[in-house]
Amino acid sequence: MKLDSDEVRAIAMEGRLSLTDAELQGAVRYINNFLEMVDRFKELDLKDVEPFAFAESVECPLREDVVGVFRDRDEILAARPATGPFFSVPRIMEE
Amino acid sequence: MQLHELSVREIASGVRGRKFSALEVFEDCLGRSAACEGKVSALITTTADAGRQRARRIDERIARGEDPGPLAGVPVILKDNICTRGVRTTAGSRILGDWAPPYDATVWALLQDAGAVLLGKSNMDEFAMGNTCGTSAFGPTANPWDVARVPGGSSGGSAAAVAAGYVPFALGSDTGGSIRQPASYCGICGLKPTYGMVSRYGLIAYGSSLDQIGPFTRNVGDMALVMGLLARQDPKDSTSTCGTRGECFAELQDDLKGRRVALVRDFRDFTLDPGISEAMKKTIAALERAGAEMMEVSLPTVGRYAVACYYAIAASEAHTNLARFDGVRYGYTVNSSAGMKDMFQEVRSHGFGSEVKSRIIAGTCLTEPVRSEQYYVAATRVRTLIAREFAEAFENADCILQPVTPSLAPKIGEVDDDAMKGYESDLYTLPVNMAGLPGYSFRAGTDADSGLPVGLQLVGPRWSDGRLLSAGLALEKILGAPVIAGGGN
Repeated sequence: MKLDSDEVRAIAMEGRLSLTDAELQGAVRYINNFLEMVDRFKELDLKDVEPFAFAESVECPLREDVVGVFRDRDEILAARPATGPFFSVPRIMEE
Repeated sequence: MQLHELSVREIASGVRGRKFSALEVFEDCLGRSAACEGKVSALITTTADAGRQRARRIDERIARGEDPGPLAGVPVILKDNICTRGVRTTAGSRILGDWAPPYDATVWALLQDAGAVLLGKSNMDEFAMGNTCGTSAFGPTANPWDVARVPGGSSGGSAAAVAAGYVPFALGSDTGGSIRQPASYCGICGLKPTYGMVSRYGLIAYGSSLDQIGPFTRNVGDMALVMGLLARQDPKDSTSTCGTRGECFAELQDDLKGRRVALVRDFRDFTLDPGISEAMKKTIAALERAGAEMMEVSLPTVGRYAVACYYAIAASEAHTNLARFDGVRYGYTVNSSAGMKDMFQEVRSHGFGSEVKSRIIAGTCLTEPVRSEQYYVAATRVRTLIAREFAEAFENADCILQPVTPSLAPKIGEVDDDAMKGYESDLYTLPVNMAGLPGYSFRAGTDADSGLPVGLQLVGPRWSDGRLLSAGLALEKILGAPVIAGGGN
């Protein structure tokens, strides 16, 4: 299955990426080579094979449900781009 | 011998015994890094002032008769995807800007508790996606054995720094070979621990079911010492499931008598650089002389499907993990009046490099409902077959000896136009991550023509990390320990 440039551009938009024409050309080549590589799975009969999980994940460790307080709220706020005592996002109402 | 040439053990013992001070060690390591950095470029950030302060505090504690811990005054470098409170952490990307995490990764907290001193944060392929250290937004790192060549990746900065003698140990992360491959290209020791042995809390995620943090050192004894401190079950990471298994690093046995070491039959016909073939022959001879029993195992699914399976899973996990970088919570952002989607798009399109964008697109494509069953879910089923195949192989063998890469470190800029061909060169490393196994990369010799180091790896069943290092110790006694590279001088 080959994807054309419109399909690849649409997939990139899903990942919130806009591509220049040169980037798009490279991405089309990349994704089609990638799909050719993973098309190899079709050679295998996988219908009775379970998806992978680590054996230990069934004995996933539990811990006490104890409330923890992050030591410095200001440090978190200092690390984000906006200024003021909050995180700021662009308007979303029209979307 | 200068202080920067000492091992982890020698530095800690010298500082604790007041033979020299933590500050003297730090200054000597800093001097060594300054002498090499112009040509090697292993570091994104150097923490000279904070490191000096911390080294002074270690010395003060010793003067008061306190014990700062088993890594007292030992300088360390961390890959720049390991969070360090108050110290810029970039993951080799523009998109994090000058983000300084408000918390420490568990591994860094453990090292601090043991007395280690941070010298800097090392260069890496952007978000750990690459095998040359060339996709970093901060430019490439060079191999300290030949500065025209790559150090490997993605943890290339950490490997180059240890090889050049900036520090006696560093941490990296390994999602598909990112510790073992640069360790091999730079001629040092690198361990990708069993998945679950070391906490991933505070590691900027690439492929969460594959990522594992591990050390680089210049000898196997130091590796065991550092791993003994890092192998802890962490309540902050539910996939850290080692329990008390970290005790395996307490004492290594160098006796190989009767150990069954396997070669992979399905790799036999793959082409290797002559220097690597030669190192395989010499290492097999060394193992046999030490009493190991050589045998063969078969991994046909690994040989044919591992690369495709790995990249399908890694890209799918990466596109999810990297969805959080949107210009709201971390450093890099843009002023966009057009709305949220436009802002996300602008930040991500300018903030990510081309390799990262390609893998996000691949991951988005493979996990779309229309294709998910055919590709992503199929890959998770193939992964089960790969893990089963390894488990069966380890019913007969104690460990596997194999190359790390098919060729020696390439020149900087020598990149194949077809990314898939570059991915194929990861065949020897990435199956280990898919099955969650430990892999130990060690220096096995020197290529006669180029003078470049040649690395090989030992792979074992889950939780056999201590036994792998024991075999590594026996081999180190025969083959010799790594030495410090020229670093462009």
